[in-house]
Amino acid sequence: MDSEEAEILFSLVKEKYGDKITDEELDEVKKAVERIVETSMELRKVELGNWDEPFSVFKPYRRDEE
Amino acid sequence: MNPVYTPLRKLSESIKNREVSPVELAETFLERLETHGPPLNAVVTLTKERAIKQAKRAEEEIKKGKAKGPLHGVPWGGKDLLATAGIPMTWGAAPLRDQVFDYDATVVKKLEDAGAVLLAKLAMIELAGGMGYRQPNASFTGPCATPWSQGHWSGGSSSGSGAAVGAGLVPFAIGSETWGSILSPANNCGVSGLRPTYGRVSRHGAMALSWTLDKLGPLCQTADCCGIVLEAIAGHDPKDQTTSKRPYRYALKRDGLRVAVPKGVTDGVAEPVSRNFDEAMRAVGRFAEVEEIEFPEFPYEAVTRTILNAEAASAFDEFTEQGLARGLTAPECRYGPYARTAVLAKDYLKALRLRERMARIAEDVMEQYDAVAAPSRGTTVPEIDKEFRKVTPGTTRDIMGALGNGAGLPAISVPSGFDGNGLPTGIQFMGRAYGENGVLSVAVEYQSRTEWHTVHPAKFTP
Repeated sequence: MDSEEAEILFSLVKEKYGDKITDEELDEVKKAVERIVETSMELRKVELGNWDEPFSVFKPYRRDEE
Repeated sequence: MNPVYTPLRKLSESIKNREVSPVELAETFLERLETHGPPLNAVVTLTKERAIKQAKRAEEEIKKGKAKGPLHGVPWGGKDLLATAGIPMTWGAAPLRDQVFDYDATVVKKLEDAGAVLLAKLAMIELAGGMGYRQPNASFTGPCATPWSQGHWSGGSSSGSGAAVGAGLVPFAIGSETWGSILSPANNCGVSGLRPTYGRVSRHGAMALSWTLDKLGPLCQTADCCGIVLEAIAGHDPKDQTTSKRPYRYALKRDGLRVAVPKGVTDGVAEPVSRNFDEAMRAVGRFAEVEEIEFPEFPYEAVTRTILNAEAASAFDEFTEQGLARGLTAPECRYGPYARTAVLAKDYLKALRLRERMARIAEDVMEQYDAVAAPSRGTTVPEIDKEFRKVTPGTTRDIMGALGNGAGLPAISVPSGFDGNGLPTGIQFMGRAYGENGVLSVAVEYQSRTEWHTVHPAKFTP
């Protein structure tokens, strides 16, 4: 896990939502942010090609084509 | 004729033959919901007025010889995340207990068109578990018990849907699954629960937790009942752009069934679950060709978890920004939404890019099989008053759940026996995309050779 990245992301969360959570809860949030970074690291390990698109297709909308 | 625990096919025949009337049925099950619903914490709202109106209409139509099909006059219950015009829809969350919509969800409409009778909105984990609950007590209606033991959990997040079917309070229910929310209550309540392919059933009017993972599906007495309900609720809906245009007809395949078992699928699984799974597979081996398979190493859980975290952060953005999480029941849900706001856009997109590779892996490995079998859950049914991590030390991987939900694959959980405490265990059969009939064929054949689905908790058996 990249602890520096987790620390930075946690600081952002704390800055934005710190007033909504208690100190004890903040500790739990920190652990959760660390788990999120750990999960992201697993994804980042897998190499993809430039042409590998997200598995979701955006379709421009027209009512008569519904 | 006693309708309680009667499978849909037989119930439907009794209605058609006028051995039992839709109004009598509605009244019988409403009374059961009123009596047994509260001790289980399974019910949020009874929809009595609407139910009687629908039942009377069904009765008239049947009298006039205008029978609509197998669900005509049959009562049901819906997870309280399905919109029903003028009736509260709480999403299991205290801050939203007065929320009312002025339209019906597509699935509610489809069941009304099929002549089914809505009796109740059923309990669920707050926001379908989207805030990261770690205990059964995560709903403003209280922790929902399995009908098999007041001291054990019904599973979730479609808690009331599982408990109400397991206790014979409704003939069938609709639940939703993002990751485990139909299979878990089916397992814990000893009923059959089907998670359809993503896009098979419209989600219009249902609470969104994760747009690309959410599915709606039935919980019933048997796998056969699940097939009947799926046929009624499946289909394209212009109001849900993700719904498939492939038509769905419930049809069973009788011969040449092939079932795969992933290598090491019972590693780390609780002994009673593993024992019952082995026994169940011996039964499956008597009618299907069984082979071992291996899913290649891949970050299945990281992909699905990242998609879920990122989409839930966005779906509940307003809820989070308004600080409404403070009013939730489980303490961990009150701060649950904040951490996931830290998921980076590039990681969400990476997960979506890896999802295609994951879906191709699933197709490559599963193409030749009607179903891949595994225990529905790795543990026995948890106690109702304990945190999950305290009752299930260590972590077992959930590749079937991550791959199945991440790639949008159908799966059914059916009862496979009991543990030493008399609590149910389950076996799941997962299929290729749009392979519901394959998994249903295996499950129906399995249930024709076993009796676990016919055993009901004595306390609720009339």
